[in-house]
Amino acid sequence: MRHPSLLRHLLTWVLGSLVVVWVGLVGIGFQIGHHEADELTDGHLASVAALLLNLRGSEALPRGQQVASQLLSRPELKSHDYQQSLSVVIWDGQGRVIGQLGEAPVPPFSDSEGFADLVLGSDNAGWRTFARWDRNEPARRLMVMLKREERDELASDIAWQVALPGLWLLPTIALLLGLAIRRGLRPLYELSGDVHALDVEQQRPLGIRHPQVEFRAIVDAINLLMQRSRSALARERQLADEIAHELRTPLASIALHAKALQKPLADADRQLSLERLAHDAMRSGHVLAQVLALARASRTEMTETAQPVDLAEIACRVVSESAPQALANDHVLAYRGPATCVRRGHAVLLELALRNLVENAVSHTPGGTSIEVQLDDAGRWLQVCDDGQARMTMHDGAPNPQTRLSLGLGLGHRVVEKVAAIHGGALQKIETGDDGTTTYRIELGLEPADAQRGNPAPSATTSRPELPFAAMNADSATR
Amino acid sequence: MRVLVIEDDEGIAAGLRVHLRQHGCVVDAVGSVAEAWRALGAEPFDLILLDLGLPDGDGAEILQRIRRAPEGRLPHPATPVLIMTARDQVASRIASLDMGADDYLVKPFDPDELAARMRALRRRAAGRADAVLRRGELTVDPAARTVQRNGQPVELSTREFDVLLALMEASPRVLSRAQLEERLYDWQSGLDSNAIEVHVHRLRRKLGDAVIRTVRGVGYFAPDGTSR
Repeated sequence: MRHPSLLRHLLTWVLGSLVVVWVGLVGIGFQIGHHEADELTDGHLASVAALLLNLRGSEALPRGQQVASQLLSRPELKSHDYQQSLSVVIWDGQGRVIGQLGEAPVPPFSDSEGFADLVLGSDNAGWRTFARWDRNEPARRLMVMLKREERDELASDIAWQVALPGLWLLPTIALLLGLAIRRGLRPLYELSGDVHALDVEQQRPLGIRHPQVEFRAIVDAINLLMQRSRSALARERQLADEIAHELRTPLASIALHAKALQKPLADADRQLSLERLAHDAMRSGHVLAQVLALARASRTEMTETAQPVDLAEIACRVVSESAPQALANDHVLAYRGPATCVRRGHAVLLELALRNLVENAVSHTPGGTSIEVQLDDAGRWLQVCDDGQARMTMHDGAPNPQTRLSLGLGLGHRVVEKVAAIHGGALQKIETGDDGTTTYRIELGLEPADAQRGNPAPSATTSRPELPFAAMNADSATR
Repeated sequence: MRVLVIEDDEGIAAGLRVHLRQHGCVVDAVGSVAEAWRALGAEPFDLILLDLGLPDGDGAEILQRIRRAPEGRLPHPATPVLIMTARDQVASRIASLDMGADDYLVKPFDPDELAARMRALRRRAAGRADAVLRRGELTVDPAARTVQRNGQPVELSTREFDVLLALMEASPRVLSRAQLEERLYDWQSGLDSNAIEVHVHRLRRKLGDAVIRTVRGVGYFAPDGTSR
């Protein structure tokens, strides 16, 4: 497909305008030529009439004798292109022709003076005439005549001479304009080339070669887009790296232990390998579930509409289902928030996000850590607090890697971020406070559902351990 | 072959330990940059298996520090390093190899391929092209862990094979008892004071006295075939 060319577009408009102007000039020139030829001719007629009257030339003319053929047959008298064939008729005071010169037929005698257009002869030819009386005795009337056809030829010739330069000037101007426009568009060509050669992998911004003020907006816009593309690409790569790491690590472990089990092994090593196989298979499945959830979150954003969701019910369910794992790791898990809190959202995704945060807290903190899921009374946020950092500092503890099934923090948080974004919010890590608590908060921009809103209940479904942050109310959690 | 595994995932570290021991390697595993650097400064390793994503830093940092290490001290700057990582982008491979890695494997990998690559790296480090070592009437295949004397297979225990392989790879250099112990035992292994002497004695009984020579007060060496 042939793309439209800006150069061709500009040339078409510029040359089109030029042609219109030129045609207008030729038209006006033609009119002016005609007008001036008329004026010139009339002037000639009047001049000749005055000259002949002053010379009393009629006395030299043969009375009543036609001399036109004689004059016309004398080409040596023609000495200029614009020399016109004038005819002269002279009458006496009684209207008798006393002299005639030239090819014009004798017009009817009248008493009038001045310019007139007459149609004379058998061929009905048009003539421009000028008549003048000489009242001195003997009185005479003189008429000088010129064929209209000859006068029109003169007018056309003048108009043509006016228009003629345009015929060679127009292509020359078109060529020069084309070159000028092409040269003038060079910065645009350079910008176009640079944009075409843009590589999202390169950090070099556009615009170093394009200081023109007209390009500033587009260059800034392109640079901004490129920056966003690079950031998006970096985020995608980071996510791909995180997913690859989370998926490939247990698979590599499975492959190693499976291969080891194919050969003779000590009982202890065999048992260890079997346990690792089972653990890493579960871990792989968990990672796959999270990756699928991430993919589903993206699809949900586009296809599924939000439904009334009881955030408190979700929080309690996650806490109760995570309690066995927490207990196995010697963690204390609790919920703090209203008994019900119905908002419009995606229940599966919200549960997935909250479960991720809880599992991360269980997996990445040492035994004895207190973990609390908190829900804002107004449903503006859900958060998971733990005092694992304080415990690690106080007791030099460390999370137990053997029991870790959760995702790495990077991928897990990407899932939560995605879910929060779908619900009009964001994931926020609230820095560890003086008391050593860490809080991950899912900000939610959810609208209240039509269903009734729950009354705030400071202590709800599960047991309430004595947490170091137990007295912390919802708003004071932001440290 | 004494191998240091630098890997923070306990499953992979344990799997490598078990699998590589089956291939006759002596394996120590650490899970962080700091631990790795302490281990590398304490003992010599024939090969390093390095994971890039470590909790306290990037594995590439260890690689760079090894390559910049001064000669004559630990860690040896020419120690072969094989990177095992989940990062599979070409750019990451190029960057790692350009940084000084000798090989690169993307997880998950075939454990036997890993073992083969490790043997190739060891061979390259020893300046050998042939996968099989030949000394006089002895032929030692490190991959199959078999020994033939005059074309006849000889049964050796794991430790005996390791002692023989270490001496033949180092040949004609003399290895002290301490150097042999470093190559044959990891940190967890209990070691008898005369364990090396026992293995050498058994090797001589199975392969002949001339296979391993003693340099009194210094150590042992495996003479090449022409000097026998």
